[in-house]
Amino acid sequence: MPVVADAIRHQIEALNTRYIRAIDDDALEDWPTLFTDPCLYRIVSRENFARSLPLSIMECASRGMLIDRVVGYRRVNVYEPQRYTHLLSGLVIEPLDATHVRCKQNYAAIRTMITGEMMIFSAGVYLDRVRLSDEAQFEERIVVQESRRVDTLLVIPL
Amino acid sequence: MACSAIMHNDEPLIAWPKEGPTRAPYRVMHDPDIYRLEMERIFRGPTWHYLCLDAEILKPGDYRTTFIGEVPIIVVRDAEGQINALVNRCAHKGAMLCIEPAGNRNQFACVYHAWTYDLKGALTSVAFQRGLAGKGGMPRDFDPKCHGLTGIRVENFCGMVFGSFSEKVEDVETYLGPEMAAHVRRIFNRPVEVLGYYHQVLPNNWKLYMENSRDPYHATILHAFYATFKLNRLSMQGGVALGKQGWHNLLYSAAERDIQKENYEGGHLRSVIRDVGLADSTFLDRRQEFDDGITVAIQSIFPTCNTQQIYNTLAIRQTVPLSLEKSELHWTCFGYQDDDEELRRMRNLQANLIGPAGYVSMEDGSVGGYVQRGIAGAEEDAAAIMEMGGRTIEPAPGIRATEVALRGFWQAYRDLMGF
Repeated sequence: MPVVADAIRHQIEALNTRYIRAIDDDALEDWPTLFTDPCLYRIVSRENFARSLPLSIMECASRGMLIDRVVGYRRVNVYEPQRYTHLLSGLVIEPLDATHVRCKQNYAAIRTMITGEMMIFSAGVYLDRVRLSDEAQFEERIVVQESRRVDTLLVIPL
Repeated sequence: MACSAIMHNDEPLIAWPKEGPTRAPYRVMHDPDIYRLEMERIFRGPTWHYLCLDAEILKPGDYRTTFIGEVPIIVVRDAEGQINALVNRCAHKGAMLCIEPAGNRNQFACVYHAWTYDLKGALTSVAFQRGLAGKGGMPRDFDPKCHGLTGIRVENFCGMVFGSFSEKVEDVETYLGPEMAAHVRRIFNRPVEVLGYYHQVLPNNWKLYMENSRDPYHATILHAFYATFKLNRLSMQGGVALGKQGWHNLLYSAAERDIQKENYEGGHLRSVIRDVGLADSTFLDRRQEFDDGITVAIQSIFPTCNTQQIYNTLAIRQTVPLSLEKSELHWTCFGYQDDDEELRRMRNLQANLIGPAGYVSMEDGSVGGYVQRGIAGAEEDAAAIMEMGGRTIEPAPGIRATEVALRGFWQAYRDLMGF
């Protein structure tokens, strides 16, 4: 595993903490601010990803498209009340240059419905390209979901 | 089995309401005896079922696995280039032969006791058939020719591979009828390229999704994204075409031809949200690629196959019942082999509209669950109503506020089920 300065590790951990707080605390308006503009955010199943098939479950190529997903969630789309609890583990950081790193990390998102029903809604890996700074941002976050199935619908980003 | 006893007496499991196909009793969505009978009369009945695309199994030995109803199926191309559809079940103990969704094999060997089959399903070897050192083994009169895999009828129509358990059902083109066959030809007008798959678990009986995909009435009400961003409104020119007396249908509309804007803009539909705009609408960049001007076309092929064109997103949707109250929707999304880079990019970004996270389709994943829970414990004679656009089953050119395609589905269902 590459040796990464503690300062970089702290930046990445802080970014990921802000990321799951934005989603899990229903502060989704903060979520687009964690990305550069343009950016790439994709949710893709392992089935498609492993075969280099381009189809994504969700794909945003700019901060505007991320904002539109938040507007869809808040104003337009219809779904039952639900929240995620994210669990992250196994962070690996690989330096690219002085200001960029690639990261890989496991995620799991437990979904809780208003009825109390809980399930592991999605689990997989985050494959990131991050621009370092005191306010590090994702240039790229590819969410590779291990399961090919999505239960019911996906409206909140992973 | 409970249903066999009832079938034997020739008494229908349910008394259909006297209003006919304008009603669907809620009981058909949660009665296990009716579900068992559907597996027999619909899925093993005189019907064709989409299995895969020809383009997915191009080389000898290429196979895909799928289901007809609950029955696991292998579709494979053999050394002669012929496509075979086989029940995915070893003739010995019934174990599933192929677990993976796709792959390439030169034979199918069962992991359990190594019974092995060729790509046409013939049993080619039985491990230790002669026993060991002259002891044990199969009886001398055991004839491998009598123990192949169960083959079913298979037909490749324009690149869509269909299978059927029925010896009686007509060929696919006749089954579809001229208008539905023409629409399949319209979509499969040149070689396709698979862009990827979605698999979505629906918390409802399979027929609730069949209703949903035949229902232009809900599309612009439930799916607020459509109406808000003027992608599809009930006031746009379009209609419903039928095939095989309503077994199949095509819902179509042309976005550039809106005949009555004020019905939306002066109305009070929740689905038209006034102060919402898109920050970056490039994912809606699109190209008119069909000469007929149709921008949204959802075709239903009875019982469980849909073809889809929503702008430049093209897909086949196949609904597989997982149990009485759970289904799985499989999407195969594709473009054409000769797509230029820009069009391929459009299809992939427009895919934000479709699938389990689609701006205009995610609600279909959940609305069946609203119904499934709503009808729990309903009175014995309670039923859904489908009188929008009248009570008959006739093509409805120029009419979109209609439930005619649902009436067609229920008529076909009753014919097959004997209800």
